Amino acid sequence: MSVIQVKNISKSFGDTKAVSDVSFEVPEGCIFGLLGPNGAGKTTSIRIINHILIADNGSVTVNGERVSSNTQHMIGYMPEERGLYKKMKVGEQLIYLAQLKGLSYNEAKKSIKYWLDRFEAADWYSKKVGELSKGMSQKIQFIATIAHDPDIYIFDEPFSGLDPINSEMLKNIVIELRERGKTVLFSTHRMEQVEQMCDEICLFNKGKAVLKGNLREIKNSFGKNTINLEFQGDHTFLDKLENVRINNRSTNFAEIRVLNGQNMQDILKTAIEHAEIYKFERIEPSLTEIFISTVGEDNINPNELA
Amino acid sequence: MNFQQILLVLKREYITRIRSKAFIIATILIPLGLVAFMGIGVGIAVWDSQPVHTIGIIDQTNSIYPQLKKIAPDRYKDFSSVSEDSLRSLVLNEKIDGYIFLDEANINQQKAPEFVSSGAGGLSLQSTVQSDLREAIRKVRLDRADVSQNIQNIYESKIELKTRKLTKEGKETEDDTGFLTIVGVVMGVIIFMSVLGYGGLITRSVIEEKTNRIIEVIASSVKPIELLLGKMAGVGALALTQIAIWIVSILGLASVAGPIANSFMVNKIPDQAAQAAPSAPGMNPAVFTIPKIEPSLIILFVIFFILGYLIYSSLFAAVGSAVDSETDTQQFMFPIMLPIMIGYFIMFRAMANPDSTLAVVGSLIPFCAPIVMITRIAITDVPIWEILTSILLMIGTFVGTMWLSAKIYSVGILSYGKSASFKELIKWIKE
Repeated sequence: MSVIQVKNISKSFGDTKAVSDVSFEVPEGCIFGLLGPNGAGKTTSIRIINHILIADNGSVTVNGERVSSNTQHMIGYMPEERGLYKKMKVGEQLIYLAQLKGLSYNEAKKSIKYWLDRFEAADWYSKKVGELSKGMSQKIQFIATIAHDPDIYIFDEPFSGLDPINSEMLKNIVIELRERGKTVLFSTHRMEQVEQMCDEICLFNKGKAVLKGNLREIKNSFGKNTINLEFQGDHTFLDKLENVRINNRSTNFAEIRVLNGQNMQDILKTAIEHAEIYKFERIEPSLTEIFISTVGEDNINPNELA
Repeated sequence: MNFQQILLVLKREYITRIRSKAFIIATILIPLGLVAFMGIGVGIAVWDSQPVHTIGIIDQTNSIYPQLKKIAPDRYKDFSSVSEDSLRSLVLNEKIDGYIFLDEANINQQKAPEFVSSGAGGLSLQSTVQSDLREAIRKVRLDRADVSQNIQNIYESKIELKTRKLTKEGKETEDDTGFLTIVGVVMGVIIFMSVLGYGGLITRSVIEEKTNRIIEVIASSVKPIELLLGKMAGVGALALTQIAIWIVSILGLASVAGPIANSFMVNKIPDQAAQAAPSAPGMNPAVFTIPKIEPSLIILFVIFFILGYLIYSSLFAAVGSAVDSETDTQQFMFPIMLPIMIGYFIMFRAMANPDSTLAVVGSLIPFCAPIVMITRIAITDVPIWEILTSILLMIGTFVGTMWLSAKIYSVGILSYGKSASFKELIKWIKE
């Protein structure tokens, strides 16, 4: 069953179409990745799911219910642009935010105590947020997102601006949430995070959903059309290869996507002639490669993909 | 709309602010500031009346100068023995402020006396000298005309004006117009300052949520209109709390200060009081109590305060949502400040002439009404239909500004990074 159903939504701001005719479904209990370069319409879609923006066309249902103030309470949302009241105390602030999500004062207080203990932050309860370090307030932000114990979690670019420790912690939280049967949707423009965590993905480009489905199946469907090559020696021979696209290149490494059914053995021969080969491996394409071949090389700004 | 949510927002706005040092300090300092301000005004007036001007008189009639001497002995000095040239140099060296040459022609009114001065005394000195001379010359002429003492008394009699005010009930009361004018102006000024002060607070509060980037977290739980209403209500409650504190402490102070001042005065002049009126039981306590302020006036004050606050705070909130930082508010503040400044100036006209066309019109225009109308109501009997019309127009205007503000606010709070232009605002409103 899908907990979030997005059907043919469109949204324009003046003359710019932020999202056009996007549909996707998020199955229950999975980690769902929305990916695509900046400005592809991920945040707009997420805001529509959160009922912060209203779609011009199309419909969104959460747990089978059309989005409304009511469905907002079913979701824990951490926006890309996030923050807290600096002059408010940690405890009061978290209770306030949880109350806005429909918890009673006592429920909110109990849940917040639990999470503060869990993050070894119980003694921050009466501290003002402005006195906390950046890493500490990031933890408070997580608690604010999850304290009302919703079934669905939406994180917009959750890893941007996080320090490595919190980044790791968030990853663990997300995986733990899935183990408890919760559904997590997050957006990112960093492909390697998706590869590590997501079950399902939806690829955005220029306001459209260009590719969606199970990550494994998508990768399988592209076949092992990519070569991982490790070598020692002159790397300029790579420039002479035809009908290939080299994605991840350094002085002794290259990820080579073979195009137009060119024979991979020919590439190996050329490589042996110019350099000492340490490793030659046929693999499934990376998500970055999948993204590029889906939207076409000319349609993306490669700088926006990490 | 969910009132539960509005109430939560209201509570947060109210509680976090009422506990803040800024609120406590402002509540204490603003009345002290006002008192100090008035004190400085009075002080300047007192200090200002101190300088004594010296005017040299060359009196060839020998009859005007003695009269002048009676009127103001310090001001007029006899320089009849000095030549006019040396008087000129005395004026130029600022030893004296001016001189007047008087002869028979002045008494016969063939020629107006000439006051030669360095200009030091300004207009007020000129008019003082003029009235002194008028009185002195009139006295001399009356003496010479040999009129009877009776007629002289008539000329010397001073007319005072006592004022009594006829109320609706047909009773004549002690006229408090002077006192009520002050009350009206103070009420108008309080509304003016509160609308600006608390409006500014709303703007900052909206900007704060944008720059803190908490707004999107909130917006994922609360509708923009709920957030906006909760915020306005919370800050409004804060404003009412502050004003209630002031009113209660003023009334408290007045009720304590009156009797204290009384007993003080009575103790000080027991003999006089006993001599003047042996049967009177001390001083009349009414002298030191504040004339009564009608409860209806206070109720109307609260109503006009709330309506004025609502109209303007909705606009101030819209400004906050449209900009990215406080420095960008200028261009939008101007059109909001303009009507309230106009109202402020009309209030001072209304103070002098509460029933003039300007004052009546100003008290009906919703953007000026909260300030102008309350001043008029305090000073004069404003027809009930005018008050009701004014209130209804303000409610209608509030519905309009609220609609406008909600439109701008719901788009504005999510647009980060740059301040909107007027063009964009119009686009948001049309959306």
